Amino acid sequence: MSDDSVPMALPLLRLAAGSSEVTTLYRELRKPLLRYLVCLGLTSDEAQDVVQDVFLSLQRHLASDGTQENIRGWLFRVAHNQARNRQTSYHRRFSEPLDGEMDFLADDATPEQRVLEKEKFRRLATSIRLLTESERECLLLRAGGLRYREIGEVLGIATSTVGDTVERAIKKLAEKCNV
Amino acid sequence: MCDVQAKLIAWLDRELSSDEAAGVERHIEGCKECRCRLAAYEQVSNTFDAYCDAVEAVKTRRRVLRWVHALASAAVAAVVMFLAFSRTRIEPPPVLIPAITAASVGLPAPPELESAPRKTIHRRHPVAPVQVRAAKGQPMEAAVQIAIPAEAMFPPGAMPKGLNFIAELSIAPDGSVKQVRLRQ
Repeated sequence: MSDDSVPMALPLLRLAAGSSEVTTLYRELRKPLLRYLVCLGLTSDEAQDVVQDVFLSLQRHLASDGTQENIRGWLFRVAHNQARNRQTSYHRRFSEPLDGEMDFLADDATPEQRVLEKEKFRRLATSIRLLTESERECLLLRAGGLRYREIGEVLGIATSTVGDTVERAIKKLAEKCNV
Repeated sequence: MCDVQAKLIAWLDRELSSDEAAGVERHIEGCKECRCRLAAYEQVSNTFDAYCDAVEAVKTRRRVLRWVHALASAAVAAVVMFLAFSRTRIEPPPVLIPAITAASVGLPAPPELESAPRKTIHRRHPVAPVQVRAAKGQPMEAAVQIAIPAEAMFPPGAMPKGLNFIAELSIAPDGSVKQVRLRQ
């Protein structure tokens, strides 16, 4: 496994609290963080709150000369921990079937395409329920664009373990979903 | 089963070193089974990403709908309040316009015209004026009646389970609210 990380689109060295780089970071990572939190089971409102708290923590972290290495992983880790703290709604809603609410997602699709898409999502949702919590979290962070090393840092596990977990999860989904 | 199969997903995620990646690519070119597996893994990954987007979109939509419900309820409440309190109308103060006469501006007074004889209508029998009087205890007939169910006035979940009512508004032709009635 290589140890390289995807370079971010902004210079992360010497970020200052309240600087324009932090604002750019917020614009770039707000949506991936929201998606991650919502998929973990938080409501949209809860996810918005957590993202705000995460960036407030970043300000404090930078103001106190905290480490600036892998800020993206740091942000996801803080978000992950905050989601854990809201355990009441965590781990529950991601694999809920979305039913008829999917209709609006593909307005330009034909009815047949919509039905197929809906069926595909339904099968995937069923398969996601079969994943372990660790497998699901690895896949979510991977979908958020994090490298295996960063995922390992967020979840507190070894990079090789992340590779094995992702592989196992994808194989399970491919087998059960048959997409 | 090929040994390379264990590295396919890592290759897909660009997590292999350049040497390992080159080895996988060479193998894939000649192995149909690995190509099929790779395609399946890629498709699952893409579907998973799309599903995450869909989950986020649906939850965001639910949030927006909640706000729409709340705003709609507030608007209905505002309309009801407006209709209920608009009965006491405030008359605007009379505008004082100074009377301008010919004398005041120094113009000669126009010649006084002889008034034309008014046409008088003689009725054989004087008709008594029709008296519109509402029967005692009965409200005047309403021009508009509106029935608003409780679900339309409050956001979902705000009403206790089992409790439901309909607010009926009767609005008179002059725009005033004649009656507000709640019924089950």
